[in-house]
Amino acid sequence: MSNTVTYNEQELVLSLKAKDQQSFSYLYDNYSGALYSIVLQVVPDKELASDVLQEVFVNIWRKIESYDPTKGRLFTWMLNVARNLAIDMVRSKAYQNSQKNQGLPESEFFDKSGSATHLSVDNIGLKKIVDKLKTEHRVLIDLAYFKGYTHEEIAEIESLPLGTVKTRIRSALTQLRVYLK
Amino acid sequence: MNIKEYISSGIVESYVLGLASNEEQLEFEQLCLNHAELRQAKEAFEISLEQHALDNAVAPPAAAKQKIWSQLNLVATAAPEVNMEWAGEKVQPLAPVRSINFAKLLAAASVILLVGSTVLNFYFYNKYQTSIAKLDEFIASNQTLVSNSNVMQAKLQQYQNSFEMMKDPSMSVVAMKGQAVAPQSLTTVYWNRQTKDVYLLVNTLPQPAADKQYQLWAIVDGVPVDAGLLNMNETNGLVRMKNIPKAQAFAITLEKKGGSVSPDLTALYVMGKI
Repeated sequence: MSNTVTYNEQELVLSLKAKDQQSFSYLYDNYSGALYSIVLQVVPDKELASDVLQEVFVNIWRKIESYDPTKGRLFTWMLNVARNLAIDMVRSKAYQNSQKNQGLPESEFFDKSGSATHLSVDNIGLKKIVDKLKTEHRVLIDLAYFKGYTHEEIAEIESLPLGTVKTRIRSALTQLRVYLK
Repeated sequence: MNIKEYISSGIVESYVLGLASNEEQLEFEQLCLNHAELRQAKEAFEISLEQHALDNAVAPPAAAKQKIWSQLNLVATAAPEVNMEWAGEKVQPLAPVRSINFAKLLAAASVILLVGSTVLNFYFYNKYQTSIAKLDEFIASNQTLVSNSNVMQAKLQQYQNSFEMMKDPSMSVVAMKGQAVAPQSLTTVYWNRQTKDVYLLVNTLPQPAADKQYQLWAIVDGVPVDAGLLNMNETNGLVRMKNIPKAQAFAITLEKKGGSVSPDLTALYVMGKI
């Protein structure tokens, strides 16, 4: 039943662009966990994160033509798709409202999807590494990468000069590379 | 640019993680074309990022894949269904008998109307935009015309004033002929015997050097008296000079910029007796 076909990156990309369903299934089986973990770091609610993941794969299937292998690896592209969709979700009106509702004790409707299903996201994926950074760096990476704010917005939120924000993010990122090795 | 410094500046991570600005991205991609080192650094970071994500994978809910497949109308288990399609033996479900009811018809009609109105809106909006652009063009060209006309009127006024003064019967006209330095030169002084006003008309005078300036002198009882400096940019029509109560002749010399106390007679350009 289970196919043991494996693809190298180039074959995988070509098959996906040719809308080969088997390669898409392979892609899902091998990468959904990694991408789900990324989404969870932005959207901690498991159910919502699963919705986002669904959106991510729908996007990968439909927009694979726009992926340009000369610019980066397939996973990098998928990672950015996942991050962007997750941030979009967090910024959506519906999500903002549900967060507010969760805060109210009388709201029974949202209680079930509340803290019980939240993973402790601090212990997974990139966040684990980001946590190793100095506080001043960690805060900025969190805003820039997991919350998707622009450097200008961060400068405003943190009341820091734009130049400082840029240098801190850059040096935090070089730290990340070291930790990832 | 030192490519090693560039690589360790954090730009690689910033680019890969999608945090770089558009300009940074463009620059990065340009540099990648020419620097294998940079490409390698990028690839290495991508791989470590991918590896890390794979190592930290969290299994999504089991139902998720099925949801995706049905949203995309993909066939979950490929083999049997594909065969059916291929054999052309798929049983077509009976189409339900359609009853057109009024509400549906109304809904359809309103959708058509909505689409039609949207299209018209677009059309009219475009027309409106074009009209606005045209109107702006006309306003701009009208403004140019008005300002041109103002310039012309001012000039005309100037010439008219000059002409009025020339007509004045108490005006003495002194033609000043070119001297040895520039025999072709010619200027004319209009001297009002009553008001003692002096106006100069430059018929022809050579363009002076940048650090030089023409100076008009009135010869009063054999002594040259300064009658003003000539600005060559303002020689349209009559130029008002200094008031001279009494004179027997006028002369123009070329002096240093700003004028002199006494004339340099070696640079005497024109002279004329009253």
